[in-house]
Amino acid sequence: MIESVFLFPFVMGLVSLAAPAKSSRFVLAGTAAGHLLLTLMIWHASLSPLYPAFFTAAPEGLLILLVTSIIFVAISCYAFSYVIETKMAHARVFSCCMMLFLGTMSMVALSDHPIVLWIAIEATTLVSAPLIFIHRSKQALEATWKYVLICSVGIALALLGIFFITLAMDLGNIAGPLTFTSLNTVATRLDPVWLKAGFVFIVIGFGTKMGLAPMHTWLPDAHSEAPSPASALLSGALLNCAFLGIYKTHVLMNSAGLGDFSGSVLVGFGLCSMLVGAVFIVGQPDYKRMLAYSSIENMGIISFGVGIGGLALYGAFIHLIHHSLLKSSLFLSAGNILLGFGTKQAGRIGGIIHSLPRTFVSFFAGFVGLCGLPPFGMFVSEIMVVIGAIRGHWYVSVVLFVFALILAVAGCGRVFMAMSFGEATTAAGLGEKPLRFIPAYALLLTSLVLCFWMPETVYVTIIDSIKMIGGIHG
Amino acid sequence: MINFADFILVLILLSVLLSLGSTRLMALVKIMALQGVMVSVTPLFLNSHEIPDGGAALFYLVMIFIKGALIPVLLYWAVKRVSIKREIEPIVGYHASIVTGLAVLLGSVFIVNSLHLSLPEGRSFALITANSTLAAGFFLMMARRKAITQVIGYLMLENGIYLIGTALTKRSHTIYIVEFGVLLDLLVGVMIMGIILNNINTAFDDIDTTLLGQLKD
Repeated sequence: MIESVFLFPFVMGLVSLAAPAKSSRFVLAGTAAGHLLLTLMIWHASLSPLYPAFFTAAPEGLLILLVTSIIFVAISCYAFSYVIETKMAHARVFSCCMMLFLGTMSMVALSDHPIVLWIAIEATTLVSAPLIFIHRSKQALEATWKYVLICSVGIALALLGIFFITLAMDLGNIAGPLTFTSLNTVATRLDPVWLKAGFVFIVIGFGTKMGLAPMHTWLPDAHSEAPSPASALLSGALLNCAFLGIYKTHVLMNSAGLGDFSGSVLVGFGLCSMLVGAVFIVGQPDYKRMLAYSSIENMGIISFGVGIGGLALYGAFIHLIHHSLLKSSLFLSAGNILLGFGTKQAGRIGGIIHSLPRTFVSFFAGFVGLCGLPPFGMFVSEIMVVIGAIRGHWYVSVVLFVFALILAVAGCGRVFMAMSFGEATTAAGLGEKPLRFIPAYALLLTSLVLCFWMPETVYVTIIDSIKMIGGIHG
Repeated sequence: MINFADFILVLILLSVLLSLGSTRLMALVKIMALQGVMVSVTPLFLNSHEIPDGGAALFYLVMIFIKGALIPVLLYWAVKRVSIKREIEPIVGYHASIVTGLAVLLGSVFIVNSLHLSLPEGRSFALITANSTLAAGFFLMMARRKAITQVIGYLMLENGIYLIGTALTKRSHTIYIVEFGVLLDLLVGVMIMGIILNNINTAFDDIDTTLLGQLKD
């Protein structure tokens, strides 16, 4: 039963709440390993769904499940050391919510029923809220309040969109079950007007969660105030899950012959997010907020690529994988810097190369990857998106796309350079521990390896995910 | 014969207008309890020719319990804990809010009439009510400063969306376990909002959301 992949973290999360506080980090690490094992078993197709009416192993879901699982393993290693070193006051709640968060995200990845998908995405908001306000500071409270309220309202609108799709089914006199798989087969009989309305509401709703501008306002606050392992998980895994909801609906729109409409909407939101993200990166004094705005920008790239289709769509999926790996690695490095210097203000930090040399390697390599420079994968994916867009004659959009990329690189570059090589300030806080820099290295290395050698089955899964909307040559 | 469905929908509309005009937070919580019960029973009266089977009956009972009792009790505790009785200085005044509520109602009538949907008997009025509830919930979230009123606004928005779902879609799609999941999310959401609210109150000595403005660019 593929459902075990989200039931297992749920159970372990509740177990860790009952277990003594000291053992919760062991449970967390064990859950991460077990989850990866279950994920690989699903990839190997040795598990089948127990409730096929609600869950299925769709290729795009499998991809996101695997990315989430790999990142979670790295983050749980980091958290293993982080929880003890920072003497976290509510370590049990932290571990429990991390596991529940993993469970709800896995549930999103496997959902086939639109409302089950909605329930799972709303549940990710609820279980990740305690992670953001674990420090109980005034800023953390504000960030959590904004996160819960803005995301809940946004996601409520997505539910409205799902109801519109059900109405489109009724108007087309379709009696089949309400699952994405079966809807795709009868898509042409759905009422187009209500399907379009539903899509717009779903993009606004799940787009809020994904961090598409102008609904992104919660994202920088939540990512900067959450403890670093949680930030890494929010940025590297949660945003992908929200994207999955939009992507599944986009596939449905394509099957219904409305792909041009949904594509244009996604390109519009994508460009808007890229520009907003890039503008706020420039002159951003807080480095964790800068990484958060960079996530908004990258979600924009993914949305843009998916909207254009063809090679750009393939590029968007590659981008999704590499963004998750690089960004979670960067948030983990940023966590080390925060522990070392005790401030989130980039202006007060300098000379990381001297004070935290091992973190410097992962921080700077992450920066190189984030700027879309080789040898990391975002170089390949961004080029694919640009080529795909030019092939599709989206010339004005390509100009804006490249402009936003340059702006983001310039903004990031200033902060990263000053922090890494600037006038040295003393790192009075915690030093570097192997468990806190090896995970960041491992994530970067994965991105590097995937750039040169991608396993055949991953490639096939990506191709399968985009087959429904014309494939790589569409 | 009295049409019970219309009767209930009118009660929901009245609760919406009342909530826009009420100054006391306790009164607001009571109005939400009434609205929750009314919204939960609406589908029963809209599809009065169908007799709910065991699973459906259980679901409606649970829903009435959660929306009409559990969530209001949670809100009641929250209001007690923060010891704030009324909303002073709302962003939009109470009289203006009621006028807005009426405008929203007129707007929904106009929208539903111009959609030209071929809905079954009684469903268009349900849709009008649903639209008004949804829009009024949005308005309440934006027009008030206290965090607790914003939670109530969110609940009203959710009620509106549930009503739209009831009015628009056939019951044949309904799988109660799925609906139950939605309800559970709502309940846990309100609980988490309540916990954060309590923490905001201890940290700031107030639940005024204008105090939450430190994080910005």
